[in-house]
Amino acid sequence: MQYPARLFADTATIVARCGVLLLLYAYVFSLNDGTIKGTTFAMVAWSMFFYFSFITLSSSRISRAIMQDITSGQIEVLLSKPITYLSYRAWWQIGAGVYPFIVTTILGAVTLAMTVGIPQTMKIPLFLPTLLVTFIGAIIVTLFIYTIVGLLSFWIEDVLPIFWIVDKAVMILGGSYLPVALFPDFMYKIALYSPFGASVFVTHTVYESWTTIWYKLISIQLFWIVVLGGIIYFMFSRAVKNVSVNGG
Amino acid sequence: MVFKLYFSRVPTGLIKWVLNQLGYNINEILILFAFGFSWYSLKMSDNSIIVTNLSKTFTFPVRSATAGWVKNLFSPEKREITAVKEVSFSVKAGERIAFIGPNGAGKSTTIKMLTGILFPTAGTISVLGLDPSKDRKKLAYRIGTVFGQRSQLLPNLPLTDSLEFFGVMYGMSDADIKSRISELVELFDLSAFIDQPVRKLSLGQRMRAEVAAALIHRPEIIFLDEPTIGLDVVAKKALRDLLIKINKEEKVTIFLTSHDVGDIESLCDRTIVINHGTIINDLPTNELSRAFAYEKYIDLIPKTSFKNFPSLLEGATYFLKSSEKITVIVDINKLSVQDSLKRLLELFVVEDIDVYNTELETTIRHIYERDSAR
Repeated sequence: MQYPARLFADTATIVARCGVLLLLYAYVFSLNDGTIKGTTFAMVAWSMFFYFSFITLSSSRISRAIMQDITSGQIEVLLSKPITYLSYRAWWQIGAGVYPFIVTTILGAVTLAMTVGIPQTMKIPLFLPTLLVTFIGAIIVTLFIYTIVGLLSFWIEDVLPIFWIVDKAVMILGGSYLPVALFPDFMYKIALYSPFGASVFVTHTVYESWTTIWYKLISIQLFWIVVLGGIIYFMFSRAVKNVSVNGG
Repeated sequence: MVFKLYFSRVPTGLIKWVLNQLGYNINEILILFAFGFSWYSLKMSDNSIIVTNLSKTFTFPVRSATAGWVKNLFSPEKREITAVKEVSFSVKAGERIAFIGPNGAGKSTTIKMLTGILFPTAGTISVLGLDPSKDRKKLAYRIGTVFGQRSQLLPNLPLTDSLEFFGVMYGMSDADIKSRISELVELFDLSAFIDQPVRKLSLGQRMRAEVAAALIHRPEIIFLDEPTIGLDVVAKKALRDLLIKINKEEKVTIFLTSHDVGDIESLCDRTIVINHGTIINDLPTNELSRAFAYEKYIDLIPKTSFKNFPSLLEGATYFLKSSEKITVIVDINKLSVQDSLKRLLELFVVEDIDVYNTELETTIRHIYERDSAR
């Protein structure tokens, strides 16, 4: 709420990126009588919109925040407070992103509903509860992946190259460029079973297959939450014993 | 309840019988135990901080010029630096301690171990009866920290939001936060800039705000790591006065590291000097100069003006040579003040003489230099 200009800029960026892709796909689908591999343009539009609205939460920024805390030594200030450092950083990130997310999602959803309509899968009773569970799972998996990247700063200081690799993997496997329904088989499997794909499973919820695979995808998210959580616990407990900041 | 159940299972009859066989009376043992426990509790309540044989070693990889890149990447050579070596001291509740030393002496490392930020390699720490490395969060509720080179305030939000944020972080009620902020605003004179974003505050205003934020939860000890760094003389004095005030009014123990002699002289009643990771002195601040005053300064003011500067006795050296004033440093281990004055009065015709000890800053410099020369 402190930065309306920033909120406007963020929203405009998302609208521009998503809008250009949707215009391209609208043209491609029109060349194929509105359907590709049984997928309609409305499904693709909503799937891509879910990806872009999800990234307005900016959960990935936790990597940079952790890296900055470590490299600048600011972590010592936070470690002297009665907080669990990683929870603090995670909630901070959620808090920072929730307002742009709500604004972008409401505006985008209304626009899409009015322009391309609502796909059939989104009208069944199962959709909203499973979307909510997948959405929460996606936030946790995303925060966990990028927390691991950030924690690597304890050992290799500049994690930006790793951040970019992970971020691009999430973008591609999440279906930001090519909708997941149009993935070739091997890539769809990677998107399904890798943590990068699991971090944006919200993009799968609009397709017809969702009614049969939702429990599988939520289970995969749960699996990654447990595994990545264990890795974070191990890394952080080792890292805090090796904290070394200027002048001590 | 659990305690009672546990002890109800202890075969007290058996214990009594064993003690009787060994010639001990259970009542005497209980009295001795109670006495020992009371003495220990008293000792613990008196001391806010107890540090015993504390050491910290940092290990870091070093690139070897002779080894290949694979070895340097996966199995690099390790180098160790001992930042703190077997340090022991204790601090009583309500004391104002200066923990000083040259750069790299180990003072910041020690303060960070005391606050639970760094883990000791060896030794034990008890701060308010807690082990900072095991009870960091519990301890954080009872201590405050100010790191002069870092800010804990939220830069883009008004100061009042930062104070409220910390109040919530420390689990204070809304009413308590409001009343405490009012107290701190009055105490630290924050009203003029309480609604301004922190990034727009001057350094002096920001440091006052930092200390206020560290005191929001009424801590029993406040650790300050170079709190006056970069401040002008007026801001420094204001901050020192405030720290003395909170020490006296709120009985907050002050543990401070600083390179500023003014902080030490005007604020702290005891000074611990650390160098190369070990404590080299621990004494009341007002005794610091006296204990190391092996140099006396003698100022000579001429009747007309000084023209010649003849050689002095061994142990005396010129510090300042001018026609209006001469300052001579006398090493009293080699030459007495009386002998040096006698000789100087033979050499010069003077109107006034002033004999004084070295300043605290010079004393501290001597301590560092002497320790480094060892």
